[in-house]
Amino acid sequence: MSSPDELARDTPPPYKRRRTGDTPSPRSSSPDILAGDPDDFRPPRRVSQRGGGLSQSPTKAHYLNGFSRSHSLSRAPSESVPRSRSASSSGSRTRSQSPAHSTPSPAGTPRSRQRSRSPTSTSQSRSNSFSPEPQQQLTPPRELPKPNYKARLVLHGHTKAVSQVRISPNGRFIASASADATVKIWDAATGAHMDTLVGHMAGVSCVAWTPDSNTLASGSDDKAIRLWDRVTGRPKTTARKAGQEMAPLRGHHNYIHCLAFSPKGNILASGSYDEAVFLWDVRAGRLMRSLPAHSDPVSGIDFCRDGTLVVSCSTDGLIRVWDTSTGQCLRTLVHEDNPAVTNVCFSPNGRFVLAFNLDNCIRLWDYVSGSVKKTYQGHCNKSFAIGGCFGVLDGEAFIASASEDGDVLLWDVKSKEVLQRVHGHEGVCFWVDVHGETMVTAGQDGSVKVYRHVRHSGEVNGDGTRSESKAAGQGMLQGELPIRQDDVKVEDVVSV
Amino acid sequence: MNLLLSDDYLLQDYPESMTSTIRSGHATMLRFNRTGDYLASGRVDGTVVVWDLETMGVALKMRGHNKSITFLSWSRCGRYLLSTCQGWKAILWDLETGHRHREVRFRAPAYMAELHPWNQYVALAFSQSSSTTRRFDQFTYIALPSNLFVASLFEEQPLLVDISEPVDVKRVLPSAPKRSNADSDLALKEKQAKEDAKQMTTSAIWTATGDHIIAGTSKGKLNIIDAKTLEIIYSEKICTGVITTMRITSSGRDLLVNSQDRIIRTFRIPNLAVDDLDPDTIQLPLEHKFQDVVNKLSWNHVTFSATGEYVAASTYNNHELYVWERNHGSLVCMLKDPKEEQGVIEWHPSRPLLAACGLETGRIYIWSVISPQKWSALAPDFAEVEENVEYMEREDEFDIYAQEEIHRRRLDAEDEDVDVLTADPTKEEEDLANFRMPILFNLGESDSEDEFVAVSTGTMRRRSPGESQADLSAGAEPAAPVRKKAGARGGKGKKK
Repeated sequence: MSSPDELARDTPPPYKRRRTGDTPSPRSSSPDILAGDPDDFRPPRRVSQRGGGLSQSPTKAHYLNGFSRSHSLSRAPSESVPRSRSASSSGSRTRSQSPAHSTPSPAGTPRSRQRSRSPTSTSQSRSNSFSPEPQQQLTPPRELPKPNYKARLVLHGHTKAVSQVRISPNGRFIASASADATVKIWDAATGAHMDTLVGHMAGVSCVAWTPDSNTLASGSDDKAIRLWDRVTGRPKTTARKAGQEMAPLRGHHNYIHCLAFSPKGNILASGSYDEAVFLWDVRAGRLMRSLPAHSDPVSGIDFCRDGTLVVSCSTDGLIRVWDTSTGQCLRTLVHEDNPAVTNVCFSPNGRFVLAFNLDNCIRLWDYVSGSVKKTYQGHCNKSFAIGGCFGVLDGEAFIASASEDGDVLLWDVKSKEVLQRVHGHEGVCFWVDVHGETMVTAGQDGSVKVYRHVRHSGEVNGDGTRSESKAAGQGMLQGELPIRQDDVKVEDVVSV
Repeated sequence: MNLLLSDDYLLQDYPESMTSTIRSGHATMLRFNRTGDYLASGRVDGTVVVWDLETMGVALKMRGHNKSITFLSWSRCGRYLLSTCQGWKAILWDLETGHRHREVRFRAPAYMAELHPWNQYVALAFSQSSSTTRRFDQFTYIALPSNLFVASLFEEQPLLVDISEPVDVKRVLPSAPKRSNADSDLALKEKQAKEDAKQMTTSAIWTATGDHIIAGTSKGKLNIIDAKTLEIIYSEKICTGVITTMRITSSGRDLLVNSQDRIIRTFRIPNLAVDDLDPDTIQLPLEHKFQDVVNKLSWNHVTFSATGEYVAASTYNNHELYVWERNHGSLVCMLKDPKEEQGVIEWHPSRPLLAACGLETGRIYIWSVISPQKWSALAPDFAEVEENVEYMEREDEFDIYAQEEIHRRRLDAEDEDVDVLTADPTKEEEDLANFRMPILFNLGESDSEDEFVAVSTGTMRRRSPGESQADLSAGAEPAAPVRKKAGARGGKGKKK
């Protein structure tokens, strides 16, 4: 198989190819999908190209246009890149008022937005990300943690791109959300397909697990959030009116883009294209608080470990930290270059915020001091809201992120070095989630991949032989999986 | 975690205005758990309701009593809740399952039962043998620390109940004060014995360590009882009236006593934990007396603030809540929002938040501080300044550098060591890990709404007591709610 980079560059967009091979799913006739343009396929995690069918405010339309442009550019990569957008919209709005005084800018460097958006910076990071030595990663002298994730299972079943994939807090299940309007639950150990959650009328962009791993929330382009019982695979029921299913949580005026449960599981936070963050009382299914969060779609949201803070981010370039109990904004983080932020999460101890920017950088913010502590580079992220997370192996933390060239990258938190680069998917890899020794990725190619950390491996990354032998142990599963749908298929990875 | 960002410590630390009202039936008793995220309320119909303070919604409802709840006590871990009702019994609930863990019956109506501060299987109980108007006259009490509780019962001696064994062990606590004159003449002894017979324990509380019980009697005597030997090691007459309520700060150093002589007293508790405690040297110095000398108000219920810095009291036949500060003993504010007499009041264990339940409607009112939104938090470029500041431009402020240069410098500056894993060691989290309240979806529309029901278009009528629960306490005994209601009216707090 040729290198993913070449694929991304030189072949037509891979998802198209894949799509023509697929029969369209029955649900593809849902209104929102039809609203898209005819050659349709709107990859859900993508920040760009939204709003085909929806009327937008002028600002937003402007922004969206900027992005669709960027999208088309990214197909045939050129260096004259898309970052025209927030310069004119929100970025200037919030910042231009700041007079000459004040502003102790943390980095101490002069600030100039125009300059910072010059193509040079992007070209630089681009060249990084496409550097032709993707696999061969360093065995550095100092004791860096050595994640060695090997692909083990490929889970087929979704008929469209998989927008987000999450491992349950207890590590036993995998939930994947897809543009085909379904959510699927898989067994993390065997890859067995357990359930398909059908009910949304449009593509699903996000899923979230409750802390007890028994309930799932999913957010869709049909503007509804649904709560699902993992055990029954049905929407949550209210025992009060016997057997009646809980109504979906409605209130957002536009696509739901991100979801997060509080550590206690009593509050669900949702971010939407209507630029608001909603906090829901999960028990009552009631909208508890609406935060007038951003001036662009809310692209990422997370709770800190004690549940007192919510962080949200938006493509307007702002990261906001909120007090859960009062609903007040406690801090706003903006990088000088004001790059769009497409995903955000708290560090395991809740002291830092990891922000995924559309300038091929992931930044680790100290939200108390309001400064960037680390910048991670090497992946490709220009137009999609791709995701990642923190992972911990042997007491050492690393950062995992998907990349638009289909790879997954793992960085050491402290040294910013790339620890491992794994090939994930054809086309864009949208999401990666890590739970201990298990890692899962979601791809534009409609598949979910499961990886396991392999200890004491003699080989360097990227060699498939070892994982093959490991996978052989599970090969027998293939025949006897409790498959409920014909189109569900689990295949062992032969070569990566 | 939000404390890192908030300036709330600058705000006043006592509540100033009513922020919300919650209602589920007619509440008669309130208690916060130790961490302050849940509030338990006991209702006239015997239901125990647990509120989630983050969502202000019902987290759990437990039915098992059929008489008005008189007292509630949380275990230290937050998993068990002991409720006492007028119906001669106490129930220890397991909040994990929502079912009763243990039930203890008494020979009289129980008026309070408090769990041992460390051991949830011991309790202190009081009960009342007849429904006379002298509600507080006599208690049996159960002390339940994680398996031990003190109970006080009407017309009965207080009990120390140990429920660690399948069969609960009840031990009677003495009420007669300790006499120092061992060898006095017979006549005096007889007289004393007569007096002692009239002494009834009316209130009891565990000390912070759980080694001693402080009990107040109908004659205004205060006894300190050793929890192991059940002997009174100290007694003193501290007031002339019946002692109705006793409270202790979380540090265990201060005692708050409400009595029928219309004076609230605070005392310093001596260190009872020393090894060579000589009972004869114990002193209980009086610190403050709070009273309304003008109106001669008597007090329904009293509470300490989180740190013990403030004392709050609800007034008899009056709407106001009084808040005093303890440093100087001065009145700091009167909270007078709802036009309703307030019964039990509770101060949140960490925040400036006060909860009280109205005697008339049984609503729960919550007062707290509204912290203002800081505008500088929304726009990081802004700084709030008190007055005009002349801005000094830095030497290199508008120098122009190449973009790569800026980027490189930034990256080079990121040499700080970050720790994304270690949580703040000053915070104790062990309890959070221990017990997490399950999230119940089946509460649906709880009866936490208002007490008006729509009869037809435009016509509302007041919900009659017990009606809202009719669907659930199904057929328990239809006439009961009315009777209970009447009993409660005539009772708690009004007759002193």
